[in-house]
Amino acid sequence: MRFTYSVVLALGLALSAAAQDAGQQAIPKSGGDFSNVTVPLVKVPEGVILVKGAWASASDSVTPVPEGASVNNEAFSAPYFGMTYQLPSGWTQKYQGPPPSETGRYVLAQLSPAATSNGTARGSILIAAQDMFFTPLPAHNASELIHYMSEHLQADYQPESPPAEARIAGRDFTVFAYWSPVAELHWYVLATEIRCHTVQFVLSSRDTKLLEALVRSIDKMTPSAEASPTGGAVGGPVPVCIANYARDENMTFRTEPVFTERRSNAIPVRIVIDKEGNVKHIHFLSAFPDQSKAITDALSQWRFKPHQRNGERVEVETGVLFGRQPAVGPAQD
Amino acid sequence: MNKAKFLRSQAAICLSGLLLTTILSAQTDPGVQSANRGTGATIINPANDPNGFTAFFNAGSGQFQEVEAVAGNGLGPRFNSNSCSSCHLQPAVGGSGAAVNPQFRFAGSSVAPRDTTPSFITANGPTREARFPFFFNPDGSVNFNSPNGGVEDLFTVTGRSDGGACSLAQPSFQAAINVNNIIFRIPTPTFGLGLIENLDDSTLLRNQQVNLNNNFGIGGAFNRNGNDGTISRFGWKAQNKSLLLFSGEAYNVEMGISNFIFTQDRPLPGEDTFGTGLPTNCLNLTGTGYPENVTHPNGSPSSAVIDDISAFANFMRFLAPPPTGGVILNGQAVSAANISAGASLFSAIGCATCHNPTVGTTQVSNLVPALSNTAVHAFSDFEIHHMGSTLADNVSQGGAGGDQFRTAPLWGLGQRIFLLHDGRATNLLDAIEAHESNGGEATNVELNFNNLSTTQQQQILDFLRSL
Repeated sequence: MRFTYSVVLALGLALSAAAQDAGQQAIPKSGGDFSNVTVPLVKVPEGVILVKGAWASASDSVTPVPEGASVNNEAFSAPYFGMTYQLPSGWTQKYQGPPPSETGRYVLAQLSPAATSNGTARGSILIAAQDMFFTPLPAHNASELIHYMSEHLQADYQPESPPAEARIAGRDFTVFAYWSPVAELHWYVLATEIRCHTVQFVLSSRDTKLLEALVRSIDKMTPSAEASPTGGAVGGPVPVCIANYARDENMTFRTEPVFTERRSNAIPVRIVIDKEGNVKHIHFLSAFPDQSKAITDALSQWRFKPHQRNGERVEVETGVLFGRQPAVGPAQD
Repeated sequence: MNKAKFLRSQAAICLSGLLLTTILSAQTDPGVQSANRGTGATIINPANDPNGFTAFFNAGSGQFQEVEAVAGNGLGPRFNSNSCSSCHLQPAVGGSGAAVNPQFRFAGSSVAPRDTTPSFITANGPTREARFPFFFNPDGSVNFNSPNGGVEDLFTVTGRSDGGACSLAQPSFQAAINVNNIIFRIPTPTFGLGLIENLDDSTLLRNQQVNLNNNFGIGGAFNRNGNDGTISRFGWKAQNKSLLLFSGEAYNVEMGISNFIFTQDRPLPGEDTFGTGLPTNCLNLTGTGYPENVTHPNGSPSSAVIDDISAFANFMRFLAPPPTGGVILNGQAVSAANISAGASLFSAIGCATCHNPTVGTTQVSNLVPALSNTAVHAFSDFEIHHMGSTLADNVSQGGAGGDQFRTAPLWGLGQRIFLLHDGRATNLLDAIEAHESNGGEATNVELNFNNLSTTQQQQILDFLRSL
């Protein structure tokens, strides 16, 4: 027995030595591609986007931004647009939308009946916004955008009612309805203009009675009076919005950003100019961090002539497009 | 039988009948279609090939299937596989990963004798490459301030008969798994890529303009080449501009073979970033110097003298798009009417906004008439879109961030086994469901899909397997 054990032991040691002779290099030190730690430390969180490309950001966290909408306690709230919408009973938002696009498109909310809802309603509400300073589509306002949509409806759809002006929730809306015969799905599009954005409620369902009920629920909204198509009233907290305002005749000093990396993306930026003509707020719809920094450095030096309405100085909100310019010019003046 | 027992038996029958009805009526992915659709043929019409490119396609096909070694070819010192066609095989040479994963047999064999098989490589799982989103710190923890994202090759030449004294450790895959610092990619199919390569940027931009008129909340952008600013279009994040670049990168990264575009042996991302590099005894293992693959000096005729990456590019460039075909579901042929209805539904609910059936028509080709003025039915807009937190891999490539992916072309989907960028899904329904998540552009379209009837959803699945 002892003899057998010795042989096994000797054989094992020999194999071990041989393995070390011909084996791989010593295990590399931790770092880079290697970690010698066998006990999990801090894990990379699942389902979190940590490495971002061009993304939205702002110069401060206090000033509301368009993408700062939320759904809480069965209510949709968009402070930037001065909107609050009480969701239909049993409806919720399961997933938040993507960041703003480089063409100025926002997904503010995506609503549908909760999986736990006892109701049989099947449909969805997409609340979206299009920054009219940056849309590549040939439209200047909500009405034009909806008319363009109706005139370029894909072959999959048939119009149910042409674009028409309507008064909903005390506001001017453009309303358009179409449907897909094959999918038996109907879409109601309700669009209104707020702060030089087209804000859209896109309702979709096979059930037109449900859609009509959803329209009635939207009619109960009480949007802020400040959220007018062209911004706030004189003296109010919301600046007036003016397309293409960063022109030479409105400015006393302008310098261009110096980018340290060559990139090829469009960088849409909304700025708020205070009553003295300084840039007080910068909102990047889509920019890489190095681009945001370079643009912020430049914008902090820009000076505008104070803008007046009815003899009073007012704050102005406008858009500036840096980087790649669109193939088709944005719909401005 | 007493009354109570009778009622119980009747109830059981009713219940089982209801269950059966539910199972039969639920939508089902018809699965991988096995009929030969003729995929893998060349797009070139031999009768209309004035420049003789059929010979280049054939030569490229041969090179694409060559099994590389260290000696004579320059394999390694790190690699994921040893032949283009080992990864690009389903349903024909040039495709995506096959049912049997060749990588599972490498470790312990003559291919990679001293290596161990990472746990995510299985016999019948997806053929994969691995990336670490972040580098590790010297103490072994994840360095969240240092994005990595480069390919961590699975195997080494250590112990090979032609590997010399080179001795390398495999990256710390298990440690990366332990801290969730690892993501995967599967091979993209290469059928029809010559058409995609020959789309002018203006065609893609016009398509984008049309796409923006959607009511699904979809935006989109293009990844662009850092050198000339034009639209890049190959790879999961549209990070590669051309087929030659695509070939050169893959030869270097996946097989470790230096070439005219990537002229050095490639260390791991950390070995490169931190200046360690590859050990001296792992360099120039062929003894020929660099690049390891060059134009064959003594070949004849002309199609045989070009370097391998040009040959690979020619093969992919002249591969025809995958033909559509009939669909078998539960042993029965799906009617053409159902497939046609599925195509209409696919478009109506918004899938086609990104997975555009026909993005446009190619420009005039200087190579073969078959690549000229041809409609490209790739089911892609070749834009990058935010796909949200479920699919995000936290790897940035060019202008694409960690959650942005190129719209995957769907042509050939009927015969694909593994789906999504990392092969996590084999069922179309799972792949569709992964399209909705926080931060994703496709969530609203997914809601539309959910609003369809079971029959309509089935028609979409049938249609997708016809591609």
